Amino acid sequence: MAERTILLVDDDDVFVEAVSAVLEGRYRVRRAANGTEGLRMIAEERPDLVILDVMMDHLSEGFDVARKLRNDPATADLPIIMLTGVDQVYNLRMEVDESWVPCDRYLEKPVAPGELLEQVSEVLGE
Amino acid sequence: MAEPEVRYLFAPELYGRLVWFGRLRWLAVAGLAIASVAGPAVDVPHVWPALFVVALFVAGYNTFFTMVLRHRFREGHPYEDLQACAIRQIVLDLAALTVTAHFTGGLQSPVLIFFVFHMAIGTIMLPTRVMYLLAAGTSLMVLAVYLAEEHGVVAFHPLDPSFGMCGRMCHVNMAFFVVALLGIVYLTDSVTSRFKQRNIELWRTTEELRERTGELQRTLRQMEIVEERKSHYMRISAHQLRSPLATIRTSLQVLTEGYVDPGSERGKRLLAGAVERVDGLLAIVNDLLELAKMREGRARAPWAPNVNVNQLLADLFDALEPHAEERGVGLHPEFEGVAILDRGIPPDLVYAFENLIENGIKYSRSGGEVTVRLRVEGDHVKVEVVDRGIGIPEEFLDEVLHEFVRAPNARKHAAQGTGLGLAIAREAVEAHGGTLTLRSREGEGTTATVELPLHAKPHAASGELPVSG
Repeated sequence: MAERTILLVDDDDVFVEAVSAVLEGRYRVRRAANGTEGLRMIAEERPDLVILDVMMDHLSEGFDVARKLRNDPATADLPIIMLTGVDQVYNLRMEVDESWVPCDRYLEKPVAPGELLEQVSEVLGE
Repeated sequence: MAEPEVRYLFAPELYGRLVWFGRLRWLAVAGLAIASVAGPAVDVPHVWPALFVVALFVAGYNTFFTMVLRHRFREGHPYEDLQACAIRQIVLDLAALTVTAHFTGGLQSPVLIFFVFHMAIGTIMLPTRVMYLLAAGTSLMVLAVYLAEEHGVVAFHPLDPSFGMCGRMCHVNMAFFVVALLGIVYLTDSVTSRFKQRNIELWRTTEELRERTGELQRTLRQMEIVEERKSHYMRISAHQLRSPLATIRTSLQVLTEGYVDPGSERGKRLLAGAVERVDGLLAIVNDLLELAKMREGRARAPWAPNVNVNQLLADLFDALEPHAEERGVGLHPEFEGVAILDRGIPPDLVYAFENLIENGIKYSRSGGEVTVRLRVEGDHVKVEVVDRGIGIPEEFLDEVLHEFVRAPNARKHAAQGTGLGLAIAREAVEAHGGTLTLRSREGEGTTATVELPLHAKPHAASGELPVSG
């Protein structure tokens, strides 16, 4: 099976470095530092999975990106794992429609490497 | 005694008494009507038609005043109007009484006692001054009628036809009548003035209580806001601390669980990143401590007299010059006049200006310059810190003055920053009774303006928690 590609969208460079280190053994990892860059990179080359941080330049930037991906037929089925702080999950979920979850998984930071790998593997259907 | 207070105090009371007085007057009307009917029975027929006319007259004006009271004064009683209404009623009563007295024996009339009765009631309701005037007026009126009777200008109407004019006895009666009128005003006043005084005191106490209760409610509301803000603030603080901690934890876990060799290039990068995040955390904690110190300590903070703002800024320039040079940014002071604050907390002011100037340096591009303009304008000093740096996006202009808010371009330009500096600076300036405002255009630079009163009143500079935002 060809190596799967994961796009990591997060503005915390140290966190991106750490997560990349975990994923790079098994996957090809690309990185984007904000939502706009992330969308551009997805348009350029569709990854197999997107890992999105919720809070970047704006409070719910990750959600905005996820919503755009879901609303675009070309990317509607693209798997998304969302990384959030505890407060954000609670607050932002309430803010958007509670029933509408624009991603496949929520993961709370801090993320344990093993847990992340497991979730990625599950979402990718491995 | 302060008149306006008495007015508000007695208006509703006066209204109540006038209503009650109006009801009593119907008794007088009934009395006069009965007397006019019963008169012939006791064999003094020629007098009674006059009493019937008086009865009609009293019934007429009593109806009028009852309507006035009911319709005009029911809601909100302007005291002067009520008082004028009361005086008119009493004057008419006294006139009706004088006529009644004339037809029932002049100075021998049994109704003279009702003059005394009116004086007593009047003194309870109206200012004593007015009542002395009315007593004097009544005395003159009764005296005039008596003299007219005595000199045959008008007829004398004794109750018993066998009675004649009282002669010298009438002079004594007249004298006693005047003394009785003035005396009853005096006595009633001395008894009621104590109650009036107490009433006023009670009213004042009630007012004071009402005011205090209002104050308490306001304070309570303010405390609630502060409490809300505190917990909001705690949540943000916790979150701000949590994010870097989460990154540190994941980074270290990646190393300890063997995903990356700590000795490798990547391992070292991760460790360095963790250290960087720890530094960021320390900076936040330090700023939070500074903020807490500023908030808690202000009440007992070392307020110094005669704080020279020029000197304070000049010292700051010396301290910041090397840092500015290092970043290739020029510092330019432009002072117009000397600003000396009556009182101030020098360390807090230093912190505020240091923050603003440091921001200027931090967000300037290399080769840029930061100008600090000080100008004394009337009773306040205006200090502007002007840079030609990256600026603040318009939608963040108000936001960045709050804790933990950093504009995206600021985060991009300088990763280091707690988002607390401006909040602390604002708080320090506001504690001195001043204001901190920002003007900016993204990409063109920022002007931070601090305005401080030279003679801040102590209360303006007391340590209340800010409740704005």
